[in-house]
Amino acid sequence: MSSSHLTLLIVDDTPANAMQLAAVAGELGHSAILASDGMEAIAKFKASSPDLIFMDIMMPGMDGITVARRIRELPTDKWAPIVFLSAPDQMRDIVRGLEAGGDDYLVKPASSQILRAKINSYARILALQREVQANAEELQNWRLEAEEQSRLGAHVMSRLTDAAGLRDPMIRHFNMPADTFSGDLLCAARAPGEVLNVLLADAAGHGLAAALSAMPLTQAFYSMTAKGFPLPSIAEELNRKLKSILPPDRFVAATLAAIDVRNQTVEVWNGGNPDALFINTRGKVAMQWASHHPPLGILPDKLFSGMTETVVFHEPGDLVLCSDGLTEAENPAGGWFALDGVCAALSQAQGCETRCASLLQGVNDHLAGQPGHDDISALLVSVPINRRRQVRSTTPTPAHHGPLAEWRLALSFGAEELRYLDVVPAVLGFATQIQALRPHQGTLFLIFSELFNNALDHGLLGLDSATKSWIGGFELYMRQRGARLAGLHGGRIDIAFHMHQEKSRAVLDISLADSGPGFDFEKCPGALGSGEDTGNELAYGRGIALVKHLCEQVVYSGNGNQVWVRYGVSDLIVEQEETGAETEDEAITRQGDNTDLLLF
Amino acid sequence: MQIANEVSGDLATLKLGGRFDFHSHRDFRSAYDKILDTNTVREIVIDFGEVDYLDSSALGMLLLLREKADGASKRVVLAGLQGTVKQVLEIANFGKLFSIRA
Repeated sequence: MSSSHLTLLIVDDTPANAMQLAAVAGELGHSAILASDGMEAIAKFKASSPDLIFMDIMMPGMDGITVARRIRELPTDKWAPIVFLSAPDQMRDIVRGLEAGGDDYLVKPASSQILRAKINSYARILALQREVQANAEELQNWRLEAEEQSRLGAHVMSRLTDAAGLRDPMIRHFNMPADTFSGDLLCAARAPGEVLNVLLADAAGHGLAAALSAMPLTQAFYSMTAKGFPLPSIAEELNRKLKSILPPDRFVAATLAAIDVRNQTVEVWNGGNPDALFINTRGKVAMQWASHHPPLGILPDKLFSGMTETVVFHEPGDLVLCSDGLTEAENPAGGWFALDGVCAALSQAQGCETRCASLLQGVNDHLAGQPGHDDISALLVSVPINRRRQVRSTTPTPAHHGPLAEWRLALSFGAEELRYLDVVPAVLGFATQIQALRPHQGTLFLIFSELFNNALDHGLLGLDSATKSWIGGFELYMRQRGARLAGLHGGRIDIAFHMHQEKSRAVLDISLADSGPGFDFEKCPGALGSGEDTGNELAYGRGIALVKHLCEQVVYSGNGNQVWVRYGVSDLIVEQEETGAETEDEAITRQGDNTDLLLF
Repeated sequence: MQIANEVSGDLATLKLGGRFDFHSHRDFRSAYDKILDTNTVREIVIDFGEVDYLDSSALGMLLLLREKADGASKRVVLAGLQGTVKQVLEIANFGKLFSIRA
C-alpha cells in the first residue's frame, strides 16, 4: 500500500452520514469500508485491517465505545487511529471513548471541509508513523544481521587463534575484546629445528572488520613456520599478502619473534606494535625491541623491509609482546596504562604464568571497570637457559612397509640465487614430500640447515664462528653475514640427496660441496669429536657435533669444502604383516616430530 | 574533532583539534576532498597541534589521504606533532611514509 492511500472503516448506523464520509474519502483517493453496527465493524476490521476508523458512538446494540474497546483488544502489529463521531451533548461519552482506546473525536454534524482536513491530517500522521516503523524494522534486521556476522566472525577467529601452538608450555597469553570478539590475533608454532615462532597481530579498528584484516595472516604464518622459513621472509610474505588484499586505509600492526633456545637467540620484527620486552628473573627489562617498521599491509614489496633484530640472551626470562590496546588502556581520568604500567606489572611477579596473570590484573585495575576501547592482548614466552649440550640418543625410526623406491635430487645454486633464496626450507619442502622422510622433517632440518649454513657462512662468506663467542659477537656475526651475502658475486653450492636401500634399511645420503677455500676440519672443535658433551661452552662447533650425533656417518673431504653424511631413515619391512602390525600412519603419529625426543 | 581549513597559494593547511578517531571519518574526508579538487594546491599540511588523541582508524584515514594526494600529485606533510599523537605516529613509523615537519 502506498503511503498516501488509506483504507477507512466507517461505522455508522445512519447511512447518510456514512455515505458523506465515504464520498469525502473517495475524493481524496482513499477507499472506504462501511459497517452499520458493532458486530459488522469488528468483522470488517479483522477482514480488511483498515488504516483509519471513524466510529459513531451512539448505535443500537453495541455502542461505539464498546466496539473500540473490542478492536483494541484484538492482536495487531499496526496502529489504526479511531475517531469518534458524537453529538454535541455527549462530552462524557467522548472521554470514556478516548479512555477505551479511541484517539480523537468529531462533533456531528461535521462539514465535508472538516472531514477532509481530518482525513488529510491522519494521512500525514500515518505516513510518518509507517516511516518510523519501517526504520525500526530495518534497524532490527541490521542488528540481527550484525549479530549473525559477529557470531560467525567470533567462531572463525576462535578456531584460527585456538591453534595447538598456543598451548605450548612455554607460552601464556590473554586477549580481551573491546567488541564481541577481538581483532587481535595471536599465533605460535614450532619451526623444524625447535625454534619457536610467535606472532601478535593487531589490525586497525576492532571487532569483525579488524578480525577480517588479520585472518589472512594465520595460514601464511603457520605454513611458512612449519617449513622453516626465516623470520624476515615470513614478514615479507605476510606484508605482501595483506598489501594485495586490503584497501589502503587498512593495515595490521604486528610483532613477529623467533625464540631459538639452542642458539640462545631472540629475533624480533616489530611493525607498529609497542616495544617487545625481555624481562629477566629479577623483573628488569633486559632487552627491548621498538617498532622499526610501519605496520603490515602498507608498503609495496620493494619498499618493505623484513629486517629483524637478533639478540643473544645470557639469562632466562620472559619475552613479552603486546598490542597497543594494552599500553593505551585508559583509566577513568584518561591516563594510559603505558609501557611503564606494563613493566611495573611484570616486575611484580616471578615466572611466566604469574607474570601473565599480574599483567592482566594490572591492566584491569587500571581500567577500573571501564571497558577498553580497543582489543587488549599480550603474549608471554618463557625463555629458558639450557646448558645441557648433550643430545639425547637417537630416536627409534619408524619401519617402512614395502619396498623402497630409490630417488635422487641434485641442485646447484650460484651467488645470484644464494643472495635471495631461502634454500633450506625450499629444498627440504620438496624432499620431505617423500612419504618415508615426513616423520624425519625436524631432524633433517637440523642436519641440512647446519650443513648448508656451514657451506654458505664459512665456505663462501668466509665468516669466522669464533666471532660468535665474543661479547656482542653474535650481533657482529649477523651484521657481517648480511653485508657479505649482499656483496656475494661468485661461488656455488652443490647439493645432492640420495635415498636408497642399504641391506635391509632405508638410508638418506646428503652431500654438499661449496666453491670456497674449505677449512681444516681436523682442527675444528667437534668436527671429529663424538658429539658428546665436552663441557665446551663455545658457541661454535656445536653444530657439527650435533650433525655427527644425528647421522650415522659424517665424512669431510677435499679441502674441507665437501661433506657427505648418511642418515638412517628406517628399517624395511618388505612383507606386510597381517595382524598386530601398526600401519605406517600410526607409526608416524607415534613418532610425531622426532625433534621433540631429540634435543636439549 | 574540529577541522579548520586554510588555503594560501599552493599550500593548504588542515588544522585539526580534539579526538581524531573513527567518528571523524566523514568530516576529515569532506575537508580534504575540497583541497584535492583545488588544482593550485601542491602541498597539504595536516596540523596536529591541537589533537589530543589519535587512533588506528585515524592512521588509516591518513593513508587514504596519502594515496589520493599521490594520485593528484600533491604532497602530504604532518606537522605539529606532540605528546601521545607523536608517540602513536612514531610507533607506526609514519615518518617512513609521510614528510614530518616540526
